[in-house]
Amino acid sequence: MSGRRRAPEWVTSQGQYAGSVSRFLAFAIDAAVSAGLFSLGLAAASLVVQVVTGHSVHWTRANIAVAIIFVLWEFFYFGYSWAASGRTFGMAVLGVRVVRADGAALDPWRGVVRALVFPLSFLFLGLGFLGILVQREHRALHDLIAGSCVIYAWDARAARLRFLARDAEASVNASAPGPAVPPGS
Amino acid sequence: MADGRLGDGPGRRGFPRYPPPWMMFVLLSWPILGVVDPRDRLRNAGKRLTDPAEAMAQRVAERVIDLVVEVLDVNALMLRLDLNAVLGRVNLNDVLRRVDVKTLLDQIDVNDLMSRVDLDALMSRVDLDALMARVDVNELVQRIDVEGLVEQTDLGAVIARSSGGVAIEALDSARSQAVGMDQFIDRWVQRVLRRHHPGPAAPGGPDGRDPSPEGRVPSPDGHAPPLSPPGTAQ
Repeated sequence: MSGRRRAPEWVTSQGQYAGSVSRFLAFAIDAAVSAGLFSLGLAAASLVVQVVTGHSVHWTRANIAVAIIFVLWEFFYFGYSWAASGRTFGMAVLGVRVVRADGAALDPWRGVVRALVFPLSFLFLGLGFLGILVQREHRALHDLIAGSCVIYAWDARAARLRFLARDAEASVNASAPGPAVPPGS
Repeated sequence: MADGRLGDGPGRRGFPRYPPPWMMFVLLSWPILGVVDPRDRLRNAGKRLTDPAEAMAQRVAERVIDLVVEVLDVNALMLRLDLNAVLGRVNLNDVLRRVDVKTLLDQIDVNDLMSRVDLDALMSRVDLDALMARVDVNELVQRIDVEGLVEQTDLGAVIARSSGGVAIEALDSARSQAVGMDQFIDRWVQRVLRRHHPGPAAPGGPDGRDPSPEGRVPSPDGHAPPLSPPGTAQ
């Protein structure tokens, strides 16, 4: 045993303000998932219309109705996720969570407000997101308006233990002698 | 001698030829008196008298003490003693500070001591609930080297088998990489903005580390995340 290794910094980051990369990756996953689900929904709707009416329907992005439905769907996706559990699917994957500015669990209405003002951060080439980089608490414009912030919420310590366990088992397997070879073979 | 001259022999005018006898005695005995103390004899004589007397006194004292101890009922005496009052007057901390515990423990044969102890009887008298109520389990757990435990015992294999999975491993890796990049970017931003004092690390109290009790957001597995300073949650 070669002494105890130093735990990396992220082991103790749980509960701290989440940084830009984690949040961006979470948003990217959410954007992909929500768009994928919307596409699936459209495809399902097309199938139903085709089965019922016998006419094939093709949805395009230029269709204003589709655009409106897409925007509403995005509001629902983000708003419901934040209001219900404080995190979306992408945030769950990256292990981050939206909480109140004082660290308490997010109120449902704050989740809805956050979803409503979320597009404001995209204005002026995404200037509202600059707060995630430069603001001391890594809060974007929609966070400041909704009184929320994003923190790391994944059990990093358990992950660290899993990593060590895998590492220890791998070293044991590597040091174990191989199967005995019968003589003469 | 009638004229006061010393001696009877011829000599210079005005000076005696021989010193008087008392001066002769002093002059001759002076070197001897420098070595021999004439009072030694007196002291020796006194010692010959006091030594037997002292020995006899000691024997008498020992005998008297034996007689007193035989007469005394120590158990009755101890029963009349208010040990709590006595112990209440003792500053145990002061006493313990003076005790060299290491030396004391070195002299104790623990095996012999433990062989005399009836552990069952002892444990039956212990109120484990009251004892455990006084134990700060959180502090105790903090002192456990869990990582060392996982690395050096079969517990690691158990954890690896129970939580093994490519998806979980990939998820842990992706999250840790993302957090590492977050911290890397954050350090550079702080450097570019020339901030000497970084902001609070976490939402909560004045220093960002003391959220309200209801503010402990549960982690994905349902446990409240430790909002402790770095280094204490190891």
